[in-house]
Amino acid sequence: MAMADPVPSQGPDKLRALGIVALNGMFDEMDAEGVLRQAAEDILPADLALVSSFGADSAVLLHIVSRVDPSLPVYFLETGKHFAETLEYVEQLKAELGLTNVIAVVPDPADLARFDPTGELWETDPDSCCHIRKTEPLEKVLSGYGGWVTGRKRFQTAERGVLPHFELTSDNRIKVNPLAYYTHDDIEAYKHRYGLPDHPLYHQGYKSIGCAPCTSAVAEGEDPRAGRWRGLDKRECGIHFDFNGQIAPTRKQAGKTKEMRLFKNGGFMADPWTDWVEALDPAEASYTHVPLDVFVAHREAFIASPHPLGLRVDPGHRVEDVEADMARFSSVAISFPAFGDGRGFSSARLVRERFGFQGEVRAVGDILADQVPFLRRCGIDAFVVANPATRQALENDAFAEVSLYYQPVGTRAEVPVGTRPFLRRALADA
Amino acid sequence: MYRYDEFDAAFVSERVAQFSDQVRRRISGELTEDQFRPLRLMNGLYLQLHAYMLRVAVPYGTLSSRQMRMLAHIARKYDRGYGHFTTRQNIQFNWPKLRDVPEILADLASVEMHAIQTSGNCIRNVTTDQFAGAAADEIIDPRPIAEIIRQWSSLHPEFTFLPRKFKIAITGSPNDRAAVKFHDIGLMAQTNGAGQVGWAVYVGGGLGRTPMIGKQINGFVPHEHLLAYLESILRVYNRYGRRDNKYKARIKILVHEEGLETIKAQVEEEFSHVRGGILTLPQTELDRIDAYFSPPAFIDSGVVSIDVEREKILDPAFGRFLVNNTFSHARQGYTSVTVSLKPIGGAPGDATAEQMDAVADIAERFSFDELRVSHEQNLVLPHVALSELRAVYQALAEAGLAEANAGEITDTITCPGLDFCALANARSIPIAQDISRRFADPERQREIGKLKIKISGCINACGHHHVGHIGILGVEKKGTELYQITVGGDGTEDAAVGKILGPGFVADEVPDAIERLVDAYIAQRESAEEPFIAAYRRLGDAPFKEALYGNG
Repeated sequence: MAMADPVPSQGPDKLRALGIVALNGMFDEMDAEGVLRQAAEDILPADLALVSSFGADSAVLLHIVSRVDPSLPVYFLETGKHFAETLEYVEQLKAELGLTNVIAVVPDPADLARFDPTGELWETDPDSCCHIRKTEPLEKVLSGYGGWVTGRKRFQTAERGVLPHFELTSDNRIKVNPLAYYTHDDIEAYKHRYGLPDHPLYHQGYKSIGCAPCTSAVAEGEDPRAGRWRGLDKRECGIHFDFNGQIAPTRKQAGKTKEMRLFKNGGFMADPWTDWVEALDPAEASYTHVPLDVFVAHREAFIASPHPLGLRVDPGHRVEDVEADMARFSSVAISFPAFGDGRGFSSARLVRERFGFQGEVRAVGDILADQVPFLRRCGIDAFVVANPATRQALENDAFAEVSLYYQPVGTRAEVPVGTRPFLRRALADA
Repeated sequence: MYRYDEFDAAFVSERVAQFSDQVRRRISGELTEDQFRPLRLMNGLYLQLHAYMLRVAVPYGTLSSRQMRMLAHIARKYDRGYGHFTTRQNIQFNWPKLRDVPEILADLASVEMHAIQTSGNCIRNVTTDQFAGAAADEIIDPRPIAEIIRQWSSLHPEFTFLPRKFKIAITGSPNDRAAVKFHDIGLMAQTNGAGQVGWAVYVGGGLGRTPMIGKQINGFVPHEHLLAYLESILRVYNRYGRRDNKYKARIKILVHEEGLETIKAQVEEEFSHVRGGILTLPQTELDRIDAYFSPPAFIDSGVVSIDVEREKILDPAFGRFLVNNTFSHARQGYTSVTVSLKPIGGAPGDATAEQMDAVADIAERFSFDELRVSHEQNLVLPHVALSELRAVYQALAEAGLAEANAGEITDTITCPGLDFCALANARSIPIAQDISRRFADPERQREIGKLKIKISGCINACGHHHVGHIGILGVEKKGTELYQITVGGDGTEDAAVGKILGPGFVADEVPDAIERLVDAYIAQRESAEEPFIAAYRRLGDAPFKEALYGNG
């Protein structure tokens, strides 16, 4: 059986995708325990973890974990912004359910010191706050697993309406959603049947509980998640951005909802970055790609800014001019105003290979589908593309890429083939 | 010669599958011509005046008999029974149907050939001396390095969207038969003070509307650093080459506008970063590739020379063939034979499927299965034993391929011109045919001696007219085709660009004009030993200008 013999964390494999389809047909909609058992024992033994918010209805999934494998790693995002009640609840559930492997994940202190020295980032820029407290720490942890378990349910948001039990992410890992088909009533019934304790705040009107500053109570009959980021057009924290390319818009941009324009890690997602606006005050710039010439002209101001900054490299820009400042940027956007202008290919290689930049390097602009494999070899790992054919190719991973390369480049994981010194193939296919 | 290993074979067949899918999508209407265009160009498929044209790469001009037979098969099955060998040592098929192209590419792949990078703004097929690996005057066989460059440049992720196309030529001999100084990069084998062989690198040469002679950017790059050095040049060009005007986008313009010293400094800066890195060529790899090109199993037949004077008396036609169509071989008792594709009145560079098959058979029997395509649009049997030369001649004669005019006035280089090419302003093949008929008499050709006429049907100069001893450029003026005549061009190590001496001629006047130039040369040469180009250098423009335009 193809799915019983997975090879975690390896390259795209259509057979595995087919296996996912089959898996999703195997379980009764409500058989959450069967789904988790299959995942933990057959598909990803010792390669599966769970992320729990220890929120209002986390107890159900954790109870299922305790029945399948109490030693399954359970990560708790200790953002430093939780209600005291949440932290108590963590200890209570650990004890009552006998969970032996609950691990707190904390934000990188350097990121906190840099981007949120006062602890008030949630107020001005909740997306960035989620990013440094949840998305980034979690990415570090989860990258070590072939898959992970979430507590997401179809009823929670419109975007989750088609959630399956098993998802194959673009980087070929598996997300397991045992509770995908559970309704709010099913959750309540389950809790009642097993006498599971509620979150201490649940009966005070908190139906969906995240960090304290961004969670409020909801009224009777209101959407349970309405209390999250209330007043903002934000419904997801960013850690589930990979879901089927269907993702909640994050926040209002000049009165217009942002499209899902960024392709990264195998799916389209809302872009936490915004385009540079002419004459923007350097002190105001946040999560924006600053054109290289503008950065050079106002270098001191940008260096002093506490906000996350990106770099935009246009054709003709000399990336050497900011080599010493690369650590200042969280993302580099290489622009391609016309597909025939290949200067960005060289810029990308210099940024990646010569300067050793580790963050996101995105290609932005007029990009043909057939250029994508070349761009990736030059170090590009994200795309913001208008061309519909290219978007479609990205979405379907439909690139007729030649899998052998005649020349080494130092930008992505490629390994020699045979004994020839210059022949390479992608590491994932090796 | 180089043989594909499993990796090369996999690479090419994947590429064929990829393009087949693209063709299918084009035929089904899923791709528009606009979307298809960059894809087909990357696979050598052009849209010409009348039909698609498929350009097949003959890497550094080297073919086996099996490959030549496949070209014949393609000409017969998918085309109109012939192919056209080009000045880029490639072959073009002028009449393929789009739906057949995937099958053609699959057929090519079955004999280790492809059409990758024969067009588009990328690094094109590397060209070299047609006598490489055989010539007596060679310092080193350039084919192993040419093959290494071919591999490095194949689908290079950084250099596939350059400002413009990019051509590299390489010669292992100090007598340049590959016109390396008229390429974007020219490599010339060089021995340094320590006796090591490496490469003098020339950059910024080219023909087209702005002919330039390449300038030496580095006097000696050792084998091990050559790829790193090339990558440095390409990166500087990719970043700084002009993209605002396609006519000023070649590297020759960058070198010309910025100056050699500036470009050299940029290349050296880049080289300082990449030198000694992942592109360092290990000796073991050079040895491995070298092994593919080791000399064939030569046999000592006992015949080490031919009495040409005696043969001339016995059979003047064979005698002429010996004089013109053989070239000194490094191995005693062997010679390289030029198979002229310039029959009197024919279309230069064209070969029928039957001729290709015949040449393949002859190469298999008499030349260790090896063939070459020359940039002068002829074929070469590189390793023919002197003892078998007569048999080779007879076999060629039977196939209609024994035209003994190599290097003579009727051995013209000619682009396809307005008869085929969408870019052309004027016809060029009929001009070549007229000249060929005018000078058909072998005695007349012998009297004239070595004289290279090169003809282009437009400013893009595919016919290399700038470097013809006599060059002819077709232009269109007020609805009529006019032909400008240049004198004094030279594509060898003594590189020179020909000079226009006056106004152009209509087509009918061209043969007379050429004849007047030739007569002026014969009248004023010091002796029959002084070739046209030497006489021109000694005499200057005046007598030739007078021959063309009179004494007014």
